[in-house]
Amino acid sequence: MTVLSRRAALALPAALALPAIARAQSATAITVHYAQPNIYKESYDAILAGFNKQEPDIRVNFVTTPNYEEGAQLLLRQSATNQLPDLSYQGFNRLRVFAERGIAQDLTPLLKAEAADPATLGYSENLLNLAHFGGMQAGLAYAASNPICYYNADLVKRAGGDPDNFPKDWDGVLALAARIDALGDGTDGMWFTWNGDDWMFSALLFGHGGRMLNADETDVAFAGAEGMASLKLLERMVKQAGMPNMTAVAARQAFAAGKIGMLFQTTALVRGTAAAVGNNFVLRTTGMPVIDAQNGRLPTGGAAGMLTAKDSARRAAAMKFLRYSTGPEGQAMMVKASGYLPCNQIAIDDPQYLGAFYRENPLFVASVKQIPISIPWYAFPGSNSVRVTQTMVDNLARIVEGKATPEQVLPDMAGEIRRLLPRRS
Amino acid sequence: MSDAALTQALPRPARLALGETATAWLLSAPAIIAYLLMLLLPTLATIALAFTDFELGATGFAWIGLDNFAEMLSDRGFMTSLRNTIIYVGLVTPGSIAGALALALLIEAGTRGRTFFRAVFFLPVVSLTVAMAAAWQYLLHPSIGPLNAMLRVAGLGAPEWLSSSSTVLLSLAAIGIWENLGFNLVLFLAGLTAIPRELYAAAEVDGARHAWQRFRLVTWPMLGPTTLFVLTITMIRAVRVFDTVAVLTQGGPNKASQVLLYTMYEEGFTYFRLGYSAAITLVFLAIVLAMMWLQTKVLDKRVHYG
Repeated sequence: MTVLSRRAALALPAALALPAIARAQSATAITVHYAQPNIYKESYDAILAGFNKQEPDIRVNFVTTPNYEEGAQLLLRQSATNQLPDLSYQGFNRLRVFAERGIAQDLTPLLKAEAADPATLGYSENLLNLAHFGGMQAGLAYAASNPICYYNADLVKRAGGDPDNFPKDWDGVLALAARIDALGDGTDGMWFTWNGDDWMFSALLFGHGGRMLNADETDVAFAGAEGMASLKLLERMVKQAGMPNMTAVAARQAFAAGKIGMLFQTTALVRGTAAAVGNNFVLRTTGMPVIDAQNGRLPTGGAAGMLTAKDSARRAAAMKFLRYSTGPEGQAMMVKASGYLPCNQIAIDDPQYLGAFYRENPLFVASVKQIPISIPWYAFPGSNSVRVTQTMVDNLARIVEGKATPEQVLPDMAGEIRRLLPRRS
Repeated sequence: MSDAALTQALPRPARLALGETATAWLLSAPAIIAYLLMLLLPTLATIALAFTDFELGATGFAWIGLDNFAEMLSDRGFMTSLRNTIIYVGLVTPGSIAGALALALLIEAGTRGRTFFRAVFFLPVVSLTVAMAAAWQYLLHPSIGPLNAMLRVAGLGAPEWLSSSSTVLLSLAAIGIWENLGFNLVLFLAGLTAIPRELYAAAEVDGARHAWQRFRLVTWPMLGPTTLFVLTITMIRAVRVFDTVAVLTQGGPNKASQVLLYTMYEEGFTYFRLGYSAAITLVFLAIVLAMMWLQTKVLDKRVHYG
């Protein structure tokens, strides 16, 4: 006994000193970039608080940009001057640019080192695919969204509809929107977020079972029947349901003021929309009208964390933060603080994480039900990736303004986008 | 000791001149360094970039000569934005100059509330355009905006001011006029007070009884230098239109409100094509320089400096 205690007494100072030495050696500071602090700040702050408890030796400094676009600029600029942050959360559709320019790092080996099958960590194949670009795992999905339908239950009722039995297909939706439009007093039936980028157009295209480019990405694949049907549907929104020509901001304001019956936009805006609507009317949400029950899909928006650290210690630390933020605990915090969809299968399946939250916040449920049919937001290859989406929006404007028919627009759109695809020899 | 030698060697005036030159250089050094670093170097870098295919984040670049400029000629986006910019300048310049002159004459002729009206019309100049754009966005809102509410009551329909390709440029130009009016107004007011009263009395003695005659014979020629300056400044400010487009329309719908600086921004920072963006910047620079040259060389000769 005495020997043991003496040994223990001798060992004590050393044992106490060891962690201190270890801590001094491994105290790592990493820089993490994310965009849209107005939407995400609370979620990252919550995650950082949790992470600090788990990894007290890693110090995290946040850098933010007001939006995804400036976030992408920041990283491209910094990669030219060798000042990249260690981890950056970027919009899904911009990840491909980073993967193709060699700025994002492949996460597969790091995940494999942790678990032979990443699905056991909650990274199911569908979720990994959201950030799989340029032939590699360019990032891990942090927050996901899909398009949903917001509607004004009061206007639906006034137009003779039943808010509890909202139409499930476009025929029913457009007929109801036309009836709301006919209420007069400057009330519009519906608005579909067709401008901004190609995301909501891809909701129509994927909904018909179509795709943007062919499998080997050498030619457009939207110029066929599915693309035509999508454009015709957009035209019907204008002609049949009286969709007004508005900017997205104007439409959101009019909806919040109770002047638009239904609004089709991302679920990421649930929190903001509910706040803007307040007590003006009863706000409800539901899934997108089903176009093709078998092959129909929906695009996924949101952000993924990509690893950019070069130094090995900082790389390991950044990966730990990325793993924590996309793990079940981090994802539960993210959902509660932002309203996006979780990107970890464990957080989705295990009710201990989010079960109570969804019971108390029914507006968020519409998007959760659409997870099974959600596929990645398609990002175009090559350096014209972002320009392609603007070309699409410009052509959609011609239909919404009634300046051209779908028959005229589809070949123009296909021709213009073909010229923007990378040339293959 | 060597100092002393120098002092003795140099005659007094020369030493003084040397000291003065050195002091002059020393005093202007901060300005010169700032000019070199902040203006000249970036401009030279932009000129160099305009002849490359450099993209943000790309590892290298190639010299491609005049390819960027050749591309502009066949680029629908650039040509549209050039045309829109010319229309915008063509609307904003006469609108804000004529409006400012008319208001200045009214305020000058009035006996009361001069400071009040001057302040009211000058407010847009001191307010932040981005914040004001948000106010305009609400005023011009197609369904809940006050303007359309009034038009609906009058039975005049409800135009989609900022989202229809037929009205968007007009709406932006109206906002541009509102923005520039107050600035021009203050310049004209200053010009008006500088006109000697005796000239009006003399004109009246000479038979210019009508107010219009006095304006044509005295006010307008005497305001010549002011008008030239206002014209130059307004045109340059109008060519520079960016914030209202970026906040309100993002160049849409279908490029109907694309303007030069917004296209430059979009090419460089949304599509990451810095080389092409730099080439557009050079075109912009050339336009501004040409306008200044035209106004100083051509119009200057026809202006009467009292």
